[in-house]
Amino acid sequence: MSDELKPDELLDKVDHSPASGSWMDTTVQIRPGIFSYAAKPESLETLSAPNPRQWNPLDDDWKLPENWQEIIHNGIKERLEKFRTFKIFMDVCVRCGACADKCHFFLGTGDPLNMPVLRAELLRSVYRNDFTTAGKILSKIPGGEKLGGGRPMTVEVLKQWWYYFFQCTECRRCSVFCPYGIDTAEITIMGRELLNLLGLNIDWIATPVSNCYQTGNHLGIQPHAFKDMLDFFTEDIEEITGVNVEPQFNVKGADILFITPSGDVFADPGTYTCQGYMILFKYLKDKYDLNVTWSTYASEGGNFGFFTSHETMKRLNAKMYAEAKRLGVKWILGGECGHMWRVINQYMDTMNGPADFLEEPVNPITGTKFENAKSTKMVHITEFTADLIKHGKLELDKSRNSNRVMTFHDSCNPARGMGLLDEPRYCIQNVCDNFFEMPENTIREQTFCCGSGAGLNAGENIELRMAGALPRANAVKYVHDKFGVNTLGTICAIDRAALSTLCEYWVPEVEVYGVHELVGNALILPGEKKRETDLRMEPLPGMEDDDE
Amino acid sequence: MEKYDYKNLTLDLDDEGYLKDFESWTEEVACAMADKEKISTECPLSEERLEILRFMRGYWKKFNAFPILRAVCKNVHQAKGCNYKQFPDPIVAWKIAGLPKPTPEVFAKIKYTP
Repeated sequence: MSDELKPDELLDKVDHSPASGSWMDTTVQIRPGIFSYAAKPESLETLSAPNPRQWNPLDDDWKLPENWQEIIHNGIKERLEKFRTFKIFMDVCVRCGACADKCHFFLGTGDPLNMPVLRAELLRSVYRNDFTTAGKILSKIPGGEKLGGGRPMTVEVLKQWWYYFFQCTECRRCSVFCPYGIDTAEITIMGRELLNLLGLNIDWIATPVSNCYQTGNHLGIQPHAFKDMLDFFTEDIEEITGVNVEPQFNVKGADILFITPSGDVFADPGTYTCQGYMILFKYLKDKYDLNVTWSTYASEGGNFGFFTSHETMKRLNAKMYAEAKRLGVKWILGGECGHMWRVINQYMDTMNGPADFLEEPVNPITGTKFENAKSTKMVHITEFTADLIKHGKLELDKSRNSNRVMTFHDSCNPARGMGLLDEPRYCIQNVCDNFFEMPENTIREQTFCCGSGAGLNAGENIELRMAGALPRANAVKYVHDKFGVNTLGTICAIDRAALSTLCEYWVPEVEVYGVHELVGNALILPGEKKRETDLRMEPLPGMEDDDE
Repeated sequence: MEKYDYKNLTLDLDDEGYLKDFESWTEEVACAMADKEKISTECPLSEERLEILRFMRGYWKKFNAFPILRAVCKNVHQAKGCNYKQFPDPIVAWKIAGLPKPTPEVFAKIKYTP
């Protein structure tokens, strides 16, 4: 946590007054607190990624390959041919500015280059110069480049790319407001892919990717440790409920394979969400004989490869289908995660599929066909649980969460990347009595990002993260002040870590909970003892006196 | 590489102050590390602290991983949040236990304050 900069001081720094001069004439000032450390060479080596070396973004010399301009030029060319979206997004922007004030990083930092339109112009200006007829002609006339909005690729431009493409969380809020439907996240994705060609990645992305490639998850948790962590939760749950919920691992012929982000098995408060999943699966086993298996091989739902290149994303994602095939399950259930669902919903089936060895997902307990998952064969756990609740298949005691005055943060990727808006709310409202929405321009499709997604959750990047978190925190504070909200629900592993820091900094009265933690609290397991505490081992509402 | 002198000991540390050789750790090394990290000047360290350090070392040896913090306190039979009480920052506890720098995601996921 940043001790140096207090919330009031950070607020005072935000300045939205227009800068003088042309943005093209600005030089990049890389400032501590606003960037993440460079990728370590050993992490890039594991992945056979280009140009592994020690380098420091604060140094003048970034130790680039000699022909770096040629690499970038060819990289752009290749991607223009391969990705139709990239070509269209480079061409169609009319610079209307509708996106400008929609970005949490622009709102929180006031830096004009964080306007999505300008962040995209960093790349678009080079595209215009090198790949359009007008740009090629104008570049031959003195001063002509600027007339066409073009500029040549220089080290200065490259440094701007690096600095600002890692000040975008690929949340896509700007794209909701773009009259042309430009997805600026895809421009950032392309920008990062191009930077990756020169070895210009950040450690908080490259090392988790390397871990995931070697051990199956971002945290580098090996199979026996993964099991040990779930065993610990089993013990805690038994202490709370009196029921042994021991999970199954790598079971061939199970009905469903369950995959969640590794953060859920490791750090609070995600671990409580994980305990919620375990309680649910035990309930479904006892009541309906549903067999859900965990995997120590496909032990990561998230995919930081998505923040480096399409190719790396594909490599990391491949284990999901591979494990489902090996185990012979019917379909896959996925945990509460953010970018994981963009990868699954928008890329997985065409990238590593078709998964024709899996069935089109049907809830065996309710008969509901999950039409949204027909092609990917992977269902989001809140959709699954909402369906069970809707059909009256879960016995729930809402009073166990009655001390929680809730609001819900739509995680960017499930909300804007797959339209998962109502299911988490439906779950929350069926396990909690008190629910209040944040203002409408900060939720659902217009949700504000946590400010730490897309690989930017590094400790050294704290000033940027807290500045980017400001719009979301502002909305949380509003419902806290107005309705006494004390709990921020979420369905994303990064959020569970990032929003906890956000709340601690901006709205310390509010705690962060995953949706399935609340479900786990409310769900009445067959044969359970009288519960006295919630999953955090805090006294349940009404039990406070007994505890004293 | 960094050196740190403490009484009769010289610690062999990496650039970020992590002990270079896991096997060279002793309880006296822990005193030196705790002194360097400004956690404690006493030696030997309190039994509560040592229990946490020994558990972390054992966990690393067996699992090559950073443990769930709740599990640390439960295993050493100390109250919830014991690690925060004994070592405000869990990463510093890890360092004093003579363990190598954890993977970056651990830093973001571990809460610094109770």
